Amino acid sequence: MGDPGLSKLQFAPFNSALDVGFWHELTQKKLNEYRLDETPKDIKGYYYNGDSAGLPTRLTLEFSAFDMSAPTPARCCPAVGTLHNTNTLEAFKTADKKLLLEQSANEIWEAIKSGSALENPMLLNKFLLLTFADLKKYHFYYWFCCPALCLPESIPLIQGPVGLDQRLSPKQIQALERAYDDLCQAERVTALPYFLIKYDDNTVLVSLLKHYSDFFQGQRTKITVGVYDPCNLAQYPGWPLRNFLVLAAHRWSGSFQSVEVLCFRDRTMQGVRDVAHSIIFEVKLPEMAFSPDCPKAVGWEKNQKGGMGPRMVNLSGCMDPKRLAESSVDLNLKLMCWRLVPTLDLDKVVSVKCLLLGAGTLGCNVARTLMGWGVRHVTFVDNAKISYSNPVRQPLYEFEDCLAGGKPKALAAAERLQKIFPGVNASGFNMSIPMPGHPVNFSDVTLEQARRDVEQLEQLIESHDVIFLLMDTRESRWLPAVIAASKRKLVINAALGFDTFVVMRHGLKKPKQQGAGDLCPSHLLAPADLGSSLFANIPGYKLGCYFCNDVVAPGDSTRDRTLDQQCTVSRPGLAVIAGALAVELMVSVLQHPEGGYAIASSSDDRMNEPPTSLGLVPHQIRGFLSRFDNVLPVSLAFDKCTACSPKVLDQYEREGFAFLAKVFNSSHSFLEDLTGLTLLHQETQAAEERTPCVIYTHPSTWPWQLRPDVCGVYIEETRGRKQPAPNDTPVLPYFSSFPVYLFWC
Amino acid sequence: MEDEFFGEKCFQYYCAEFIKHSQQIGDGWEWKTAKDCSDGYMCKTEFQIKNGTTPSHLGTPASVHTGFPTEENLELPVDDSEVMESAAASKVIKYEYHVLYSCSYQVPVLYFRASFLDGKPLSLTDIWEGVHECYKTRLLQGPWDTITQQEHPILGQPFFVLHPCKTNEFMTAVLKHPQKINRNVNYITSWLSIMGPVVGLNLPLSYAKATSQDE
Repeated sequence: MGDPGLSKLQFAPFNSALDVGFWHELTQKKLNEYRLDETPKDIKGYYYNGDSAGLPTRLTLEFSAFDMSAPTPARCCPAVGTLHNTNTLEAFKTADKKLLLEQSANEIWEAIKSGSALENPMLLNKFLLLTFADLKKYHFYYWFCCPALCLPESIPLIQGPVGLDQRLSPKQIQALERAYDDLCQAERVTALPYFLIKYDDNTVLVSLLKHYSDFFQGQRTKITVGVYDPCNLAQYPGWPLRNFLVLAAHRWSGSFQSVEVLCFRDRTMQGVRDVAHSIIFEVKLPEMAFSPDCPKAVGWEKNQKGGMGPRMVNLSGCMDPKRLAESSVDLNLKLMCWRLVPTLDLDKVVSVKCLLLGAGTLGCNVARTLMGWGVRHVTFVDNAKISYSNPVRQPLYEFEDCLAGGKPKALAAAERLQKIFPGVNASGFNMSIPMPGHPVNFSDVTLEQARRDVEQLEQLIESHDVIFLLMDTRESRWLPAVIAASKRKLVINAALGFDTFVVMRHGLKKPKQQGAGDLCPSHLLAPADLGSSLFANIPGYKLGCYFCNDVVAPGDSTRDRTLDQQCTVSRPGLAVIAGALAVELMVSVLQHPEGGYAIASSSDDRMNEPPTSLGLVPHQIRGFLSRFDNVLPVSLAFDKCTACSPKVLDQYEREGFAFLAKVFNSSHSFLEDLTGLTLLHQETQAAEERTPCVIYTHPSTWPWQLRPDVCGVYIEETRGRKQPAPNDTPVLPYFSSFPVYLFWC
Repeated sequence: MEDEFFGEKCFQYYCAEFIKHSQQIGDGWEWKTAKDCSDGYMCKTEFQIKNGTTPSHLGTPASVHTGFPTEENLELPVDDSEVMESAAASKVIKYEYHVLYSCSYQVPVLYFRASFLDGKPLSLTDIWEGVHECYKTRLLQGPWDTITQQEHPILGQPFFVLHPCKTNEFMTAVLKHPQKINRNVNYITSWLSIMGPVVGLNLPLSYAKATSQDE
């Protein structure tokens, strides 16, 4: 024996190539047509002989596989097969693969014996596909088989494979191309899987298998055949030759001793056609008397580990509507990075966990805008039920939600978010937030309930990154403001008047180990510091909270009020604007490298280089819908604040619920005494005559007239001057030592 | 031919011309028609062996799930005539490029996707890994920064799309000069030669030559 590598012919198997379109179409067929029908179905694939070097041999199935009349792609060779789609994974596992292979092999064998394979050579290239489609998970199990009949002995090579250009002259090769093309054209086919060849120095003839007796008349010992060969390997032919050699042995071994095989490979690179890399070799036709029984067959595809077994592909990423929604949302957001803000750090936004205290008009709008930013973790807290007046202003609710007493808002809101976008992780807590001046000590039961509510709220604040205060009363914001300040969480606060709003971030206290003693002391208001420099460059830890600007402690703000003051009546567009601004403020803060410690931008900074890729990072946005105008005030933390001053935080951190209960159960004076506000009132009243401070305020700025700081059009230190109060602008006392405002507009 | 306005007829005409040349050079562009409507699209499939850092996809043998019979139990006959191929198949990536007409923008739109041989799709980042270095800076600018994911209007399957909102703008600029000197230009050729490379689609130079010879 010579070179053992040449002595035996081996074949490169097909790799199944199942296009995602095929799986889509199988899904459709299974759902709409096959349903529980497991009977075998005809399908159609194709293979190609024009690949560039290095690509493995493939049998491709696309979405068109189920349409037997679909055209075959240009220059490709069609292959027909049988689909066995099972209803259960169990049926897929237990399907008798040996039997399926034998049945299919037998059909091929019959086609060879009867001669029908000569008429229709496609019968030699049948394939099988066993599938199970798990349409809940979009997992597809499959096993592909391309049956090949085995000759009793291996096929001896007489002459090993060489490139076609080593056997034929360029002229002969050209003649071969032309003859092959002409035959394809005459037959109106995209490719000829098998054909007969006769050549001499000057001519090359090709013909169909069925004309073999005429065509080979006069041939002596050797005939030449061509096979459309999808394989690219220089030493080996591809799979389609296998059954053809069985046919040749069966049909022609009596008349001829050997077959010269041209593995026809036909590619076009950059407009230049090339068949010279086709291989050609000669094999001895086995002299054998075939028994009428079908020979042994092989052909199940090995899996990726090289073992005999089925494969599975998980296509949830491109077929599961939920996954598709997620990737589309992400991609849409990324557009923002690619196009407009390349430095935008989306991960910071998408990964933030948001706690929304209040699921009313503001809460709904904030949640919607958070979803728009791709935020995936949203938790609602509210104690109200949805009432008939809500759905028109609160975009997460519908009429149906109001029936039968109404669904709890927090739960309904979370449920709706999940419906709008299943990728969101939303939950709701139907609970009350204890408030100062709203006693909880009626009984042990109410006290216990308050204790549990506080605990729950503490846990929720702990487990989130950003706390949104979106309630409709001032005093309900107090407890979360204290807890969040103590836990150093970023707080975004939004509150509405009739046609005014405030959206602000609370100052973020320095981390505990660094000491919290850096609150702005009142001496900063010394005359030298006044003017634009006073409120320029205030870092986040020095900024005030919602309560810093108040000179009274939160109490029951709904008592002694008219109805229109109790229900926050506001222009309907206001909540949408404020809710959106609250989220955009959060996003801008998150984009700042220092986050909540970012220096506050003010209206004055509008002309300056912005600190983040998204622009300014204000402390507050105060809007006046009547004037269609926003201003960006900055205010300092107040050392006598009823929520974030060191006195309050110390007490809370030391005494916990005991302290909180005292606050809930007593009137304002408890907090005012604690923080020194009471003293301040007395002092300022005494000092008023000597050092008046004038604030020009806008009459419509705030629904709670307690808020004197609000939105002056302009404020000026008038210490030592005679009061110049113009017409209706009220002159408010107290403020001589009070850091509140700053802005020009 | 309309001047400013790129109508659907115009689109189909240029596609037909484009495909005519593709058939001459055999680079695989085809016209496909939707089954039940007159709409169609031009498409091409290309295979590449992965390079760079794109992970090769070994897929999952179903046997990782419990309950699959082991190989021995299948009693399938052994085959000594099969070539043991390397793991090349796991590195093959199939790229599909579809050119459709957008009625709303009145410009051609490039849809594309890439997958492994078992149908598992590549992410956009993986696709970009396969793009030649010299185009990578371009990814972040120009009309290429507008990739979204959309359903293929005819196939109903998710594809990546280079959004057509900027197409008219840059094509007007591209076509200005040839129009001035009265040179014949195939809109599709010019457009695709700009859009394609950043997603791995390269047009042979002969397309441009073919158009100017048609004059």
